[in-house]
Amino acid sequence: MAIAEQKLTSVSPATASSGSFPWRTWLATVDHKKIGIIYIVSAFVFFLLGGIEAMLMRVQLGAPNNTFLSADVYNQLFTMHATTMIFLMVMPMNVGIGNYVVPLMIGARDMAFPRLNAMSIWLFLGGGLLLYMSFLTGGAPNGGWFAYAPLTQVQYSPTSGMDYWILGLGLTGVASIAGALNFIVTVLNMRAPGMTLNRMPLFVWMNLVVSFIIIFAFPTFTVGSIELLFDRQFGGAFFNPAQGGDAMLWQHLFWFFGHPEVYILILPVMGMISEILPVFSRKPIFGYSFVAFSGVGIGFLGFIVWAHHMFGVGMGPMANAFFSAASMVIAIPTGVKIFNWIATMWAGDVRLTTAMLYANGFISMFIIGGISGITLASPPIDLQQTDSYYVVAHLHYVLFGGSILGLFAGAYYWFPKMTGRMLNERIGKIQFWVMMVSFNVTFFPMHIVGTEGMPRRIYTYEAGMGWDIWNFIETVGTFFLAFSVLIFVYNVLSSLRTGEIASNDPWDAATLEWAIPSPPPSYNFLHIPIVSSRRPLWDAKYPHAAGDGHHGAANAPASVRYEYTDEETPGAKEIHMPSITFSPMILSGGLTVAALGFVYINKDILGLPTRVAALGFVLIGIAMVAYAIWGWIVDSRKDSPYLGQHH
Amino acid sequence: MSATSHAHHDEAGQAPLVGSLGVDSRKLGLWAFIGSETLFFTALITTHLIFYARTKAQLMADGMLAHMDPKHFLGINLTSVLAAILLASSLTMVLALAASKSKEWAKFRFWLLATIILGSSFVLGQAYEFTHLYAEGLKLAPQYVFEGETVKSLFGVTFFTMTGFHGLHVTIGVIWLLAVYFKVQRFAASPENPMDVELVGLYWHFVDLVWVAIFTLIYLI
Amino acid sequence: MRKEARKSAMPLLVLVLSCAAMLAGCANLPATTLYPYGDHATRILDLMTPVFWMAVGVFVVVQAALVYTVMRFRSRQVNAPVPTQVHGNTNIEIMWTIAPAIILLVISVLTFRTQAANSYQPPEAMKIRAISHQWWFEFQYDDGSIVTASDLYIPVGQSVQIQLEAADVMHNFWIPKLAGKTYMIPGKTNYLAFKANEAGIFRAFCAEFCGESHGNMRFRVIALDAAEFAKWKTNYATNPPTPSGTLQVIGLTGDAARGAAIFANAKKQCISCHIINGTEAKGKIGPNLTHYGSRQTIAAGVLPYSTENLAKWLHDPASVKPGNLMGRVIKKGMLSDQEIADLVAYLDGMKLAVNLPAEK
Repeated sequence: MAIAEQKLTSVSPATASSGSFPWRTWLATVDHKKIGIIYIVSAFVFFLLGGIEAMLMRVQLGAPNNTFLSADVYNQLFTMHATTMIFLMVMPMNVGIGNYVVPLMIGARDMAFPRLNAMSIWLFLGGGLLLYMSFLTGGAPNGGWFAYAPLTQVQYSPTSGMDYWILGLGLTGVASIAGALNFIVTVLNMRAPGMTLNRMPLFVWMNLVVSFIIIFAFPTFTVGSIELLFDRQFGGAFFNPAQGGDAMLWQHLFWFFGHPEVYILILPVMGMISEILPVFSRKPIFGYSFVAFSGVGIGFLGFIVWAHHMFGVGMGPMANAFFSAASMVIAIPTGVKIFNWIATMWAGDVRLTTAMLYANGFISMFIIGGISGITLASPPIDLQQTDSYYVVAHLHYVLFGGSILGLFAGAYYWFPKMTGRMLNERIGKIQFWVMMVSFNVTFFPMHIVGTEGMPRRIYTYEAGMGWDIWNFIETVGTFFLAFSVLIFVYNVLSSLRTGEIASNDPWDAATLEWAIPSPPPSYNFLHIPIVSSRRPLWDAKYPHAAGDGHHGAANAPASVRYEYTDEETPGAKEIHMPSITFSPMILSGGLTVAALGFVYINKDILGLPTRVAALGFVLIGIAMVAYAIWGWIVDSRKDSPYLGQHH
Repeated sequence: MSATSHAHHDEAGQAPLVGSLGVDSRKLGLWAFIGSETLFFTALITTHLIFYARTKAQLMADGMLAHMDPKHFLGINLTSVLAAILLASSLTMVLALAASKSKEWAKFRFWLLATIILGSSFVLGQAYEFTHLYAEGLKLAPQYVFEGETVKSLFGVTFFTMTGFHGLHVTIGVIWLLAVYFKVQRFAASPENPMDVELVGLYWHFVDLVWVAIFTLIYLI
Repeated sequence: MRKEARKSAMPLLVLVLSCAAMLAGCANLPATTLYPYGDHATRILDLMTPVFWMAVGVFVVVQAALVYTVMRFRSRQVNAPVPTQVHGNTNIEIMWTIAPAIILLVISVLTFRTQAANSYQPPEAMKIRAISHQWWFEFQYDDGSIVTASDLYIPVGQSVQIQLEAADVMHNFWIPKLAGKTYMIPGKTNYLAFKANEAGIFRAFCAEFCGESHGNMRFRVIALDAAEFAKWKTNYATNPPTPSGTLQVIGLTGDAARGAAIFANAKKQCISCHIINGTEAKGKIGPNLTHYGSRQTIAAGVLPYSTENLAKWLHDPASVKPGNLMGRVIKKGMLSDQEIADLVAYLDGMKLAVNLPAEK
């Protein structure tokens, strides 16, 4: 029997104004929804910071021989811009949206490890804080986000910037690995009954794949960073050729992580697109298995292409040929996804909401980024294109045109679920077009100047090379791009106050998160649904929709229904959710304090006092960690499922 | 909140509707973590082997390999004992787990304490080995001194980084074992105990396996 | 309807603008990779051209499919019926897996052929050593008997093999019009072989981030016809004559002989870093300054060569090239204006007789 939605006329109690800000509820939360929102808001703040860094750089590059920024400041900015956008913006934004949506999509009440989840967010913020502190303490990292050796050795990078980089990213790395473990167990162990892996939403699939990539790729980066820290502080020489070390070793360790990292950045977004396109085409995703398995394929292949970042270092033609071939192969599953997305819309009923516009913008821009990737995958061509603005064009087409446009699609799609309000569609569409045009104006010319010989990572360039006009255009584009982001901020702020109230299912969607209120109560589902197909909500709404008959076999009737519940609903109080606790935050704080100590533990900035103070920080940090672990254990006993039993 | 999902049956009482792998969540998470740590140690061990190969090649070119091979530092007198200790501790760990499952708490305390003592002995022995190597001329520095001669090599750097992090993992394991010991002692009737013991056991076996790998690849071969 | 027309005009507008843009980028600019003058770069362009057109083809087809699909199946009614729920089609999946695979296979085959040709090191190539420093290039010929900096002279029509080394951090050797780039890595030696097909002066850069003044690290490649190149070598190996004469610069009269004395004066520190062949100066830290008057640029590509620019450099090296070593030693104003004028007269006076080709 088809289910019908009630349209709400009043704000759900969860979003009703509650007077003063409930600090404790947010700072000690272990609720995946609150943690998701903290991730999203923090990542957005870092997006703005990274954007400001980019704008400053573009002002400097807007004219040849410009003196707006010094060389050293420029180098710090481009290092921090990339580090921010990759580690402090796209990754946490993906994790934030995943955190919020994945448990809802699989019919769970929370992540598998809610406290570990809280630890991840605070540790991520600790790492971000450490990275940005460096601006105030002698200079931000200035060796590039890729930190090639031996430039990052202490004799060539004497400020503490690179130590902050190592330790800040060490913290965010631990946060990421912990988060990935959480996602893996959540997805594998906490799906609603009847939701086999084959019936999971594609967004959940992609998060699972990405989580495996994270746990297998990050350790190499961790090892490389530890070794670099040892080089800088403890007498190591892993990457110092002058003392027997190997600069190439850094590159291999870094890129073995660094290439899977870019799939970490894009696959969750591809998962979002795979959810959004079917909803706004009113058809299922075309080729579910192919899309799912191409994601898995990309995950595996992503581990054997890393040296395509190193075609110019002299590995020899055989090695180059292998990595080139592997990089070409990885284009195939990517193409499969794109074709399946287009086929999803074919013969559908396509509604061009802002989310759908962004989803299509993503596909369009990603095609361009993918194509420039193919030329880069050919070593001879790469030797003219690498380390030039052509690569800058490529990476921005896949990371901005890909990840960020996709994230905006996700934002417009899930904002109603998270806040109970719709974002304004008219403003959204204006924002979309301003962003699309200014994005292309900013980044397309980079293909051209790169082909015209402009190297990258240069703080200035000579006049008369034919680059002036393009750089100027790119700089102008940047400001319009920034303006489009401001339009989004305006849309968010005004919609939060006076936006149209969102019902459970404003988009007529297919997955479980749209069965419950917007925003959901703390326990998510009053009754865990029983699932018998890939699109449980859709099939409950349209059980008789004509098709090619590939609906999931229903051995048992599904029990999906709209729920109109809140914290006061009868039965809600009996659902035991994990208690709030400060232990994860204290643990993360302790690790951050200890990491700060390690930045200076062997530095002679002010002589012995600095090193003693640094040691003090390390010890205080360890003490905080120990205290937090104690509290954590107490918490786990408080929330034990065996509560009430003789314990 | 550790999640053990409840399998729902459909109306006809057919096979349970799956939504879970059926493995305890914390155990699943720990296995995934161990997978991650495997790559961590692989990177450290590989780095060591690469630089050792270079040192060997450089010494061979100078005709000094037989005399100055840094392997001379790595005597297996103490370290094979340490390996035996760690292997024995895995055995005692297994026995402790069995005892916890059959609720034989006295036996459990005995075997877990044995594991803790063996583990601590490893850490102390390793610390002693480090001081011994330092005295002999192998340090965390880009050269080593063997019988008065200095050789420019990263052997010491990679060796101490690798074994140092392993020692750190063992130390964390010992602390974890102690925590479980005291928890079970205090709350002997808690139904969670066998799983708590199994989890620390899993970690402990992993840490032992890493040592087997290091000992084999670095000391023996 | 107007909105729809605007929407369908938009992609077309973008397409037209992009084409116009790309055509504008097709001029023979100083460092473009689209007008190669060397065999290495030519083979790359010969590979890039068909790949580019294949890419354009893929772009047009896929974008058109996307735009067409969205526009054709736009929802036209508010309560349209639910469309047929199609889940997939295995045959189509196979098709669009194999089609891109074939295109990629073609690109791969072409790639490997070009790569084999470009990585070949001809045994008869002239060997030149290029050593990168922060932030300049040093060049050595004939086992170090000729040492220059910043201007790389090569013969036309003969393969040269550059032995690429780095003295401090990683750098990258890029002459866009002659060859693809190759890294210069401390502790490792790489080789790049190429041949200039035409005489000319070519722009070149360091293309790997190497620290503060990476953006200022450039060089020139001067390809001379064989006879002219031989003349250059002979002339370079000849020590500069005794300095004499005067020069008007920065409003003063510089005396070359006085300049030579200043240069040779240990207290001024020039000779602790620089070499001028045939003089007392034997410093190996900085570039070799023999025949400096013939350099194409000042400070490894930062300023075009002129006596006024040389004076500017000597006045305050740190402001011209931030972070560079000379700027830490020769601080602003350490050399008086008269001393600078004399030094400029001296350095500029050391010119090499060579017929320079045009900038290409």
